[in-house]
Amino acid sequence: MALGDYWKQLSWFYYQYLLVTALYMLEPWERTVFNSLLISVAGMAVYTGYVFMPQHIMAILHYFEVVQ
Amino acid sequence: YMKTSELERCQGSNIISDCGRLGKAEMMYKNGPGTGVASRQYKQESFEQAPMYVAVMTYLGYGIVTLFGYLRDFLRAVELERCHVAQEKEEQKDFVPLYQDFENFYTRNLYMRVRDNWNRPICSLPGPVFDLMERVSDDYNWTFRLTGRTIHNVINTGSYNYLGFAENSADFLKTVADVTCQYGVGVCSTRQEIGNLGIHEELDKLVANFLGVESSMTFGMGFATNSMNIPALVGKGCLILSDELNHTSLILGARLSGATIRVFKHNNMLSLEKMLREAVCSGQPRTHRPWRKILIMVEGIYSMEGSVVRLSEIIALKKKYKAYLYLDEAHSIGAVGPSGRGVTELFDVDPADVDVMMGTFTKSFGAAGGYIAGKKELVDYLRSHSHSAAYGTAMSPPVTQQIIRAMKCIMGNDGTTEGIRRVRQLAENIRYFRARLKEMGYIIYGSDDSPVVPVLLYMPGKVAAFAREMLERKVGVVVVGFPATPIAEARARFCLSASHTREMLNQVLHHLNEVGDNLCLKISQQKYSSQPDLYNEANFEPDS
Repeated sequence: MALGDYWKQLSWFYYQYLLVTALYMLEPWERTVFNSLLISVAGMAVYTGYVFMPQHIMAILHYFEVVQ
Repeated sequence: YMKTSELERCQGSNIISDCGRLGKAEMMYKNGPGTGVASRQYKQESFEQAPMYVAVMTYLGYGIVTLFGYLRDFLRAVELERCHVAQEKEEQKDFVPLYQDFENFYTRNLYMRVRDNWNRPICSLPGPVFDLMERVSDDYNWTFRLTGRTIHNVINTGSYNYLGFAENSADFLKTVADVTCQYGVGVCSTRQEIGNLGIHEELDKLVANFLGVESSMTFGMGFATNSMNIPALVGKGCLILSDELNHTSLILGARLSGATIRVFKHNNMLSLEKMLREAVCSGQPRTHRPWRKILIMVEGIYSMEGSVVRLSEIIALKKKYKAYLYLDEAHSIGAVGPSGRGVTELFDVDPADVDVMMGTFTKSFGAAGGYIAGKKELVDYLRSHSHSAAYGTAMSPPVTQQIIRAMKCIMGNDGTTEGIRRVRQLAENIRYFRARLKEMGYIIYGSDDSPVVPVLLYMPGKVAAFAREMLERKVGVVVVGFPATPIAEARARFCLSASHTREMLNQVLHHLNEVGDNLCLKISQQKYSSQPDLYNEANFEPDS
């Protein structure tokens, strides 16, 4: 099943993430804390990008005089 | 101090050669036109550096665990969490603190989390396979409880059982049983008083015969041999030049003696020569009087790196600068050399050139204790002046007999070829295992002759995961991290044995392959062909 394979691959990547960041050694609640911190910071970055990207692109195009 | 131009002029001599740490992914090409055996040995030691991203991720992992360590310490301090560590009673909280909190930070917050990989209880002989008692923890490794189940036939790659003498078959141990019936088990005295049994004298003569020296003395404990005898040999006003990676027993003995200690870089002859020159020229620190004695302390095989000492070069240096040499052959006696006589045989060096030869019986002989061997005057002096000789209880008779039978077996004196077969089997196992590991792509340290194979793991998460996954596959490994190794170089240490059969090694290698793929451990950048001998020949610099 393709979905089963994807799930296996995804859990292997999660395992590697746990090993590299040494979250493997931490207790489950500590992992939750770290993951939520990471996701909230990443989410905020994505949201900021989403809100401000049109303005930035317009400013760049204006600078290069592609659009008035 | 040697300038670079002087260095180049001296390249031809075989005294000065530098083999410091490697650059990125390069085989160490040690210079040194010397005799074939010696220079061939040196070319095979490599300490490959890991790629940069591995080092970065290691530090990242340690940083994250340290941050969480601070968080947990804070929670324990404000009592949101129960503290399992030792604490003073309520009445004593105003006194000077008895338990220094911060110093145990590493133990409390890193070691405790993965503590289940060490101190595993074994319930059988530590032979090539053993049985483990299963234990689980309900509170994240602060306490353990045994489930009652035994894990059978776990392959043992952690015991220092190099020649397979840790065995319990009745026919091998017949002489040991006879001696126990004759002498009992306890000696109840020191050798100086009334504990000098005939069997001890026999062992002393046998050890001296085995090593090819004039005389030797044996002690009941290997660690105590080093730490208690070095103070008898050197004192204040002497200089000790000790290798960077020496064992704790040597360091303790050196510190106890009161001599000045200077450390030279691991296996680095340039560093050693520089220090010797400076010591001979400048003398003692303030008075500039000549040193009473200069003692170079090295080990035959360094157990954390698997590297072999550069004995012929050190002997040349010692003769040139008139220093003494103390060689600790704890891991190399019985395990290296064509007939198991240690590094002196490996480098084809006269044993009389080494002033103090020390070794232990714990590793290759399957017993306990240590010995010091050398000239007769040295050993006679130690018999009366060493702390271990004067105050330490004598070796137990069955242990003594075990060493005697093991040594006779290696020397061939018991009439069979079992000893030499084991030495050859060990050498073959070492060659095979190392070659296969390198082929698979692991980073391994050390010389190709050493039975100690450190496989680098680097990241703290992988250290714990490796040990647990290998145990699930019924292979018992020893993993080591900080502080026994540098902080970014955690490793798994495999100790090969002559009693490992080819099938066992293949099983271990098969599981290593799987675990290495699961954990992404195969990060070596050196390309090894499947015929390692051919590869080495191609890189051998011809003597011009």
